[in-house]
Amino acid sequence: MERISIALALASASLRSEFQYRANAVSSVIGGVIYQLTGFLVVWIIVDRFNTIGGWSLAEITFLYGMRLTAHGIFYLCFSQMFDIDRVLISGEYDRFLVRPISPLLQLFTRQLRVNCFGDLIGGAALLAFAARGVGIDWSLAAWTFVLLAVVGGALVEGAIQIALGSLSFRFLSSIAVRQTVNEVFNQYGNYPQRIFPEVLRYLLTFTLPVAFVAYFPASALLNRTGELVVPAWIAWIAPALGVALFGVALGIWRKASRGYQSSGT
Amino acid sequence: MTLSRNWPAWVAIARTSIRHRYIYRFNALLAILFTGLQIYLLTVVWKAAYGDRTEVDGIAIGQLLVYLTLAQLQLRFLQMELDGDIEGRIRLGQIGFDLSRPVGYPSQLLAAAVGDMIGQLPMLAVAFPIALIAGELSGPPSVTAGFGYAAALLLAWILAALLNMLIGLVSFWTLEMSGFRMIYNLVGNFATGALVPLWFMPDALRIVIQVLPFQAIAFVPVSIYVGAPATGALWTALLLQATWIGVLILAIRWIWGQAFKHMVIQGG
Repeated sequence: MERISIALALASASLRSEFQYRANAVSSVIGGVIYQLTGFLVVWIIVDRFNTIGGWSLAEITFLYGMRLTAHGIFYLCFSQMFDIDRVLISGEYDRFLVRPISPLLQLFTRQLRVNCFGDLIGGAALLAFAARGVGIDWSLAAWTFVLLAVVGGALVEGAIQIALGSLSFRFLSSIAVRQTVNEVFNQYGNYPQRIFPEVLRYLLTFTLPVAFVAYFPASALLNRTGELVVPAWIAWIAPALGVALFGVALGIWRKASRGYQSSGT
Repeated sequence: MTLSRNWPAWVAIARTSIRHRYIYRFNALLAILFTGLQIYLLTVVWKAAYGDRTEVDGIAIGQLLVYLTLAQLQLRFLQMELDGDIEGRIRLGQIGFDLSRPVGYPSQLLAAAVGDMIGQLPMLAVAFPIALIAGELSGPPSVTAGFGYAAALLLAWILAALLNMLIGLVSFWTLEMSGFRMIYNLVGNFATGALVPLWFMPDALRIVIQVLPFQAIAFVPVSIYVGAPATGALWTALLLQATWIGVLILAIRWIWGQAFKHMVIQGG
């Protein structure tokens, strides 16, 4: 409990520091929204002209896109600093983390806030709200709870992968290229119904890199489309739990790898 | 006259930016990999949209796939960093040195852009195979289309450099540009037509994009390559690009004149 309140205090400090440069922060948020909307515009234009992609209607794809984007926004809000781990290790900033009485990983996460995550969150929520009525889901409390669990679980899946890969930096000092590439795959391939991909790729995006678990599986479960998945329906329903499990594994990897930390001495 | 006299200066500036590219070759390779991922995704999504149809609005699926692949590949190589460089040099006050050189600043920028382009060329050896694997490439349908594309590509490069310079010059007024540049890049990127060719855009959107210069960077040249020129005929397409180049040169001259008056050199 105390840890959470410390984390929140640190996070709100970094939020305040971002908004010291108000104009720049606001334009970054707007930039974030536009970035996501241009990505979505591509999908929207194609579906508008061709009616469906892989049998998914505009509302269904919008819903999927919104779920993925919201999950990504939560991921970016909480874990964006994983993208800076190389710099933190090389500059010796990590030494400072070690002498403070809270977990270094928590200090890393709260070290700075990237405000464009609000662009993802606003964009994602807008798409979800826009699509919610057209997808034919009975919006009971249970359904909304599942959406909430799914986006949090999706954020944890992305977070777990980035933390696990970031652990490589303790050994190799630089792993940013791998992490950016993986992030790019999540960002590009996570927004589409994977049914349109060749089967090999679908398995790869399920078992090698769990992109499908972020939004495609839970969205398919809600949209009653589990018949088209490469896994049984129940796996799609427990996707949020898998996020928690993967995150736990990633924390274990991080802990083990961080024992091998050698200060750069700078 | 000025051309022959300033030639060595331009070559030296261009050389520096060739080296600059070389230093950041790893980032460039990563960017090419991302382009490959994007090309693959785009071709898969568009194939799914076409479904069983082989042709939509007179555009065959083969033409479209070549279009998407080439447009993405081309855009990767037309990414320029003049705007960021200008901002950086103003921020650090180095712009004072640039301006004290006996060569005009805009032409220094152009020389840097040429060097940057040359520095990128070796990357084609990586980018081309990746594009081939990720997407689909085939020769142009006719000799005219091939030569027309070569001419249009050159004009597209000039246009991209001019647009980039124009945005960079705004830094003479304000240095808080990162958010604005991001928005500009995104809108610009979409408006090139490299993600969705203008053939398939809803009318309202297409009309807006047709009056912007960005389409002349990707849509105009690449549609020539696949044998379906944007404006219907090759020569009008090239004329459209040339007109934009003229407009932008005038705009840069004017803005540069204003910027020069406005300038503050930051102490180092």
